[in-house]
Amino acid sequence: MIDIVNVSRVYHRGADEIHALERVSLHVPKGRFVALMGPSGSGKSTLLNVLAGLDRPNSGDVTVGGRHLNDLSEDQLAEFRAHTVGFVFQFFNLIPVLSAVENVELPLLLTKLSRADRRQRAETALRVVGLAERGTHLPRQLSGGEQQRVAIARAIVTDAELLVADEPTGDLDAKNAEEILSLLQTLKRDFGKTVVIVTHDPRAEKWVDEVIHLDKGLLLETRPGGAARGAAS
Amino acid sequence: MKYLPFVLKNLGRNKLRSLLTASAIALAIALVCILRTMPAGMDAFLNSLASNTRISIHNEAGIVYSLPYSYLAKVRGVPGVVAAIDWNWFGGAIDPAKGVTFPNFAVDPVDFGKVYEDWNIAPQALEDFRKYRDAAIVGRATMVKNDWKVGDVVSLQSTVYGITLSYRIVGEVPNDRSPQFYFQREYLAQALAANGTPFDVLGTIWARIDDPNRVEPIMRQIDEMFRNSEGETESETEKSFFGSFFGSLKGIVTIILIVAGIVTLCIVFIAANTASMSVRERVGEIAILKAIGFRRRIIFTTLLAEAVVLSTIAGAAGALISLGLTSMLRSSASTGTAQLGPLTGFIVTDAILIQALFIAFFIGIVSGWLPALGASRRSVAQTLREVF
Repeated sequence: MIDIVNVSRVYHRGADEIHALERVSLHVPKGRFVALMGPSGSGKSTLLNVLAGLDRPNSGDVTVGGRHLNDLSEDQLAEFRAHTVGFVFQFFNLIPVLSAVENVELPLLLTKLSRADRRQRAETALRVVGLAERGTHLPRQLSGGEQQRVAIARAIVTDAELLVADEPTGDLDAKNAEEILSLLQTLKRDFGKTVVIVTHDPRAEKWVDEVIHLDKGLLLETRPGGAARGAAS
Repeated sequence: MKYLPFVLKNLGRNKLRSLLTASAIALAIALVCILRTMPAGMDAFLNSLASNTRISIHNEAGIVYSLPYSYLAKVRGVPGVVAAIDWNWFGGAIDPAKGVTFPNFAVDPVDFGKVYEDWNIAPQALEDFRKYRDAAIVGRATMVKNDWKVGDVVSLQSTVYGITLSYRIVGEVPNDRSPQFYFQREYLAQALAANGTPFDVLGTIWARIDDPNRVEPIMRQIDEMFRNSEGETESETEKSFFGSFFGSLKGIVTIILIVAGIVTLCIVFIAANTASMSVRERVGEIAILKAIGFRRRIIFTTLLAEAVVLSTIAGAAGALISLGLTSMLRSSASTGTAQLGPLTGFIVTDAILIQALFIAFFIGIVSGWLPALGASRRSVAQTLREVF
């Protein structure tokens, strides 16, 4: 699903050069649940942005779902993201003036689906994340966990093959965090999604197939997560 | 169109700010609409005052300079001139301390009705005007303003001649906007003669021509007749006369139109500021939209549409306000508020309404363009790094 070869990414902040990624290579097969972990500034969010088509590397090759992202224009990258990638962010990032179902429907505006089909799919996605009854609620009327579920529904509504989540449990209490991680694992297991998350949360390890450790832009270690160990045992 | 609900919901995000910005645009557009009616309104007002067969003949040096009284007989003798009278400024005031509050003239009573046959003055009033030396015919606006009626006796003290004359009101000019006060020239001449002052001049001659098509040649003929005389003349149509009389007002109208343009520009800046604030507050959300696949063009179009929709709706409201306001003025005038004068001639036409909507649309485009462009061009990864 994801092939990253010798990717480097350098930022300029004033006169300083920040090497966010240094010749990182990574392979994630389809249907895997992977966690990118490491301290702040280790490059894990940058790696997530690069593999999701949000950012471009200075060097190296990125291939996702058979598409070589280096060759794509800005508009082609937008189209790639719209069809192939579902995004979940730490702070839920729902549009506050839209109801839950309208937020989920948002990515479908980019398709040619009719209004009725868009609404039907959005309601189905909300049902998958267990919020079928909360569709008409505005984000401020939902709890943090519920908002993150809506964000996940928005990520899966286009039936994207790849789900990426940047600190999806970062703003949640322990109970909600567990539920979100469980939901992501269900999406991987039951719907065949490839899931890549960036997290500081050590609890995430038991839900994922693989944990990838980064530090100072370098990929230090790849080891099996709790889900893989559980499957092996 | 599928993005329209999204655009409208975003407009309702900060209702107070949207309302205040829309109000500013609406008032500016209403102002522009009303000001745009002024040139046409002035023209309509002049047309309502003027006859196309009436001309004025005054001293070439200006209307404040007099002409010999003998000129009146010479003008009457020109072929095509149906009737002619003289106008002589009296400068009469009810209370000299308050100054002259309405124009008053000593005129020839015999031809008065012929020169102003289109004013529909009652025949009996004209008859009495000719018959009684102290008779006066007064415009309805002045009658209403001073609560006068036919038969009243009033006095005016001249600020020009220093004499006070009493008048018997024998009739009115039946026009709500007419402020003039006319009395017999002979009455003034006799009063001045009693003080030993001869009165052998006139201020302006007003003449009626038999055929509108002959007005121009007759005016040329009259001016030619008095060339190289002791008082050269300048003849002009009644519309032109009042037009030059209101010339300074037209200058003010031009200034007001320039001010209206500057107001519009200010509103562009206000609306642009609103659009910028709105975009700045949503920079994270916009990054998320880009992340989930919204292209730059869509981001740009939806943000620009917010500014355009707000501005156009506000512009339509402003145009309706101006329409209501001018209709109210006309309706007030028809119920006797004569002092509204020329304002009642100012009509917001369809063309002005269309122009107003176009200006509002233009304000939306100009104010929304830069903020929308900036937001659409911003790198999504950079924004996510900065905001989250």
